[in-house]
Amino acid sequence: MNLKQYTILKAATNVISGFSMVTLICLGVAYLSFKNAFVFQDIKIEITNNPITQEKDIEFAMIGSKKFECNSTEVYGVAYAEDGSHSHMLDAFTKQYIRNTRPGEEVPNSWSMEVPADIRHGGRYRVSMTGEFICNYLIFTQHKSQTFDNILLIVEPRNK
Amino acid sequence: MDEQKNQQIAQQVERWDVFARLMPTVFLVITTILIVFGLIDFETAFYVGLLGFAITAVVWWWWAIFTIKYLVITLNRASKNLGEVNREVKIVITELEALKNES
Repeated sequence: MNLKQYTILKAATNVISGFSMVTLICLGVAYLSFKNAFVFQDIKIEITNNPITQEKDIEFAMIGSKKFECNSTEVYGVAYAEDGSHSHMLDAFTKQYIRNTRPGEEVPNSWSMEVPADIRHGGRYRVSMTGEFICNYLIFTQHKSQTFDNILLIVEPRNK
Repeated sequence: MDEQKNQQIAQQVERWDVFARLMPTVFLVITTILIVFGLIDFETAFYVGLLGFAITAVVWWWWAIFTIKYLVITLNRASKNLGEVNREVKIVITELEALKNES
């Protein structure tokens, strides 16, 4: 290899190395930003039919926007009694939510859940809704989880 | 001894140069192949890259510190030797002038 060829090879490897480094840094920063981002931004969830009377289901309404393409894989709620004495799992949907809302804009979503059979005496509860998601961004895929706490639930005493 | 050490430093600089030119591309190509074939996920590649980057940065930092220290010592010694030569040349010039004046 003569001097000219050596110089050209050195310059080429410098350029390729520079581009590789820039690619690695960009991918690393994009990945960190994607990994640490929440699924929903400007999110609000509330129960629209408080207090829940006889035979009614719990109706939830949600508004929020997503930055990435995310598909929910599991959604459940936990109703904690306000006195902290007990809790109930909310996982029986009577009306389904939209699984994959559009990213980038606020899309309203709603769903209904059955009142658990063991809430006979009614009472005041604070509900935590948790969603598990699979999110995609560029070449990345990431499992994400987001919880929205402190949703007021008032249940009137049940007959059965 | 100094000559040998200087040669060692020149070789180390050359190795760092080759490492800096090849490693990013090699890492990018290898991780891309491994991710495409599903052998590792992006998170593993990210943390391996981060670890490699951190190790390289620390090793390079200490190497640079010791090399700079060695260069400063060499420079000081060279400067001191030059000062001595300068002083001796001045003495020789003075003696030569004295001889010239005598004759």
